[in-house]
Amino acid sequence: MTDTEATLPEDPQAYVEQVMAEIAEEVRLRRASGDLPPKLERELDELFLAHSPVAGRGGDLGDALRMVDAATFIDPVVPVESERAAGAVVKKGMRSLLLWYVGWLTHQMSQSASAVSRALHIVDGRLQELERQVEGQRVPATGVVEFPGMQCADAWWVEPATAAVAKASGRVLHAACGDGWLVRRIIAAGGDAYGVDPRSRLIDSATLGTLDLRGEPVGEHLRAVAAAGLGAVVLSGTVDGMVGAERGQLLTTIGTRLAPGGTLVVHSASRQAWEAADAPPEADLAPGRPLRPEAWCSLLDQGGYEAVALPGPDGLDFLVIAVRASVTSPYTPAER
Amino acid sequence: MSTAAGGPVAVHQFIATLNPHDATATHTLRLRDALRAAGWRSEIFAEAIHDDLAAEAIKHWMYPEHAAPGDVAIYQFTTSSAVAGYLAEHGLPLVLDFHNFTGPEYFAGWEPRSVERAALAADQLALLAPAALLGLAKSPFSQQELRRAGCRHTAVVPVLADYRRVTAAPDARVAAELARLRAGGGADILFVGRVVPSKAQHELVKVLWAYRRLYDPKARLHLVGGTSSFEYTKALQDYVDDLDLSAAVRLPGEVSDAALAAYFEAADVYLSLSAHEGFGVPLVEAMVAGVPVVTRGAGAVSDTVADAALVLAAADPSYIAAALHRVCTDEQLRATLTDAGTRRAAELSRDAAARIVDAVAAVVRRP
Repeated sequence: MTDTEATLPEDPQAYVEQVMAEIAEEVRLRRASGDLPPKLERELDELFLAHSPVAGRGGDLGDALRMVDAATFIDPVVPVESERAAGAVVKKGMRSLLLWYVGWLTHQMSQSASAVSRALHIVDGRLQELERQVEGQRVPATGVVEFPGMQCADAWWVEPATAAVAKASGRVLHAACGDGWLVRRIIAAGGDAYGVDPRSRLIDSATLGTLDLRGEPVGEHLRAVAAAGLGAVVLSGTVDGMVGAERGQLLTTIGTRLAPGGTLVVHSASRQAWEAADAPPEADLAPGRPLRPEAWCSLLDQGGYEAVALPGPDGLDFLVIAVRASVTSPYTPAER
Repeated sequence: MSTAAGGPVAVHQFIATLNPHDATATHTLRLRDALRAAGWRSEIFAEAIHDDLAAEAIKHWMYPEHAAPGDVAIYQFTTSSAVAGYLAEHGLPLVLDFHNFTGPEYFAGWEPRSVERAALAADQLALLAPAALLGLAKSPFSQQELRRAGCRHTAVVPVLADYRRVTAAPDARVAAELARLRAGGGADILFVGRVVPSKAQHELVKVLWAYRRLYDPKARLHLVGGTSSFEYTKALQDYVDDLDLSAAVRLPGEVSDAALAAYFEAADVYLSLSAHEGFGVPLVEAMVAGVPVVTRGAGAVSDTVADAALVLAAADPSYIAAALHRVCTDEQLRATLTDAGTRRAAELSRDAAARIVDAVAAVVRRP
């Protein structure tokens, strides 16, 4: 932005890498100072989503129908304001000349759109009736299942998990984050972490400070994240009780949201812990059962990751660290 | 290879739409000239032809009137089109010149028609790729897609673009308007591309909001490009209004080459947060114009820019705002990026036409 002659560095690539590290540090300091609170960034996202055609992440049919209803009337009376003196007069004249013709056309278009809208309302009514009927057979969404001593800062797996993600190039997501205990740990290790947990009460009662924690379902949050927008994802207490389809859906979404070369860390209870007498009631209520470490590695290998499993010291839990191959595009035809 | 009558073999091109100011159209016209210079007969057949280019192309359904034995077709694949079905039906020996296309997931929730078109494009690629003599990709990223679609022989070749248009004489009226804005202070951030969800212009607006709040309250964002997604454009405009950025975000629409040159001349930084790019011609145009590039590495972007841009891994606005601030204020960084950009643009342009002609000549005998 100035005309001063700048000298080129001897090793441009190393220089740019150094600049990137300095930018990351600048962002960390800015966040710590509260210059741009995470809440504000979240509000910016929500503000834009409010303008999307279906008015929200869920793509609710009722919302879409309200928009269809609002758009069915086509106004043939065009505005005639103009920045130029004679413009308004000319426009008004043209409107008067053409209104009989345009009005005739728009009347038919409005009628046609209203007919489509009425049909959609009938479909909506029938869908709602169907939903009521299948409600009784619905598989409940998997809740967070936490075992005593497993989801806390001094658990054995926290150190290797933190080491695996702290240097990720991009933001690190922890789900389910609880009160942000692991998010704090990753930030302390130099990572740019934030958390998501469907149990909003935990986040509401947490001391947030500058922590970026969001009280929303993990899958829903991931769908709202930009493609390749995350450097790493840590899942703990979230996947153990999932059924295959739900787990597959979550992994597919993570696959598109992780940047190439990104890391996925999964902490899971073992079946031994799951079946133990002191397992939490959520384990009994969950629709699925935990996979074995070998199954996780196989599943992630198939998904284009290089995965290794670390067993816990007492056989009650394990950690899987998987790195997405950097040459693999997250947009495979199968995901389209 | 020669025709039955002994004349030179024809290597014709087929394309969905031939529009002025369009990167694929420019590529197609230049390739036509290169093919003719190499001795092949070559015409352009298109489903839709803009009036300004009416003399350059023929409607695709008129091809039989120009057909001769031994003809080879190059299909400029950018989106779904009736041309794909036409080529599959006629069974011409085919070279797929693949510019990539934006997947349906990027339009989901916006225009159902665009989702349908993008899904159809994937089907058409799967239909044509296995039978193609050769697939020409614009990046290793696109080459992988071609291979996944079943293309057996592929090569990475450059885009034939008219990069000089951004260094031509700028439009005086636009340049004067931009100079007037600059006189009031504040950085000018530029993005060039269609206003569609996959280009994520709303993310650029979000970043501008953060950048103005954290570093430069007078900064401006110029979003140059037409739209094919009116729902998204409307949402973007409403978002800009909500954030009280109407005076700072300018959407001039599609502009002439001279006006584009004025925008590049005035830009302090070129910023792209596209979620998907098949190549990204404007990234190279920014390099040619001497504008430092800050970008996300989505799609083929990393392949295109190589080491000549600040490629950001994170997408959050505070991070990108910090990167913008650094680029706008650090002379050494600006010089490093523009120097690397000049070299990268030269690499991408060097012998571009000859490289494509050589690739085609590997499967179609030279005349």
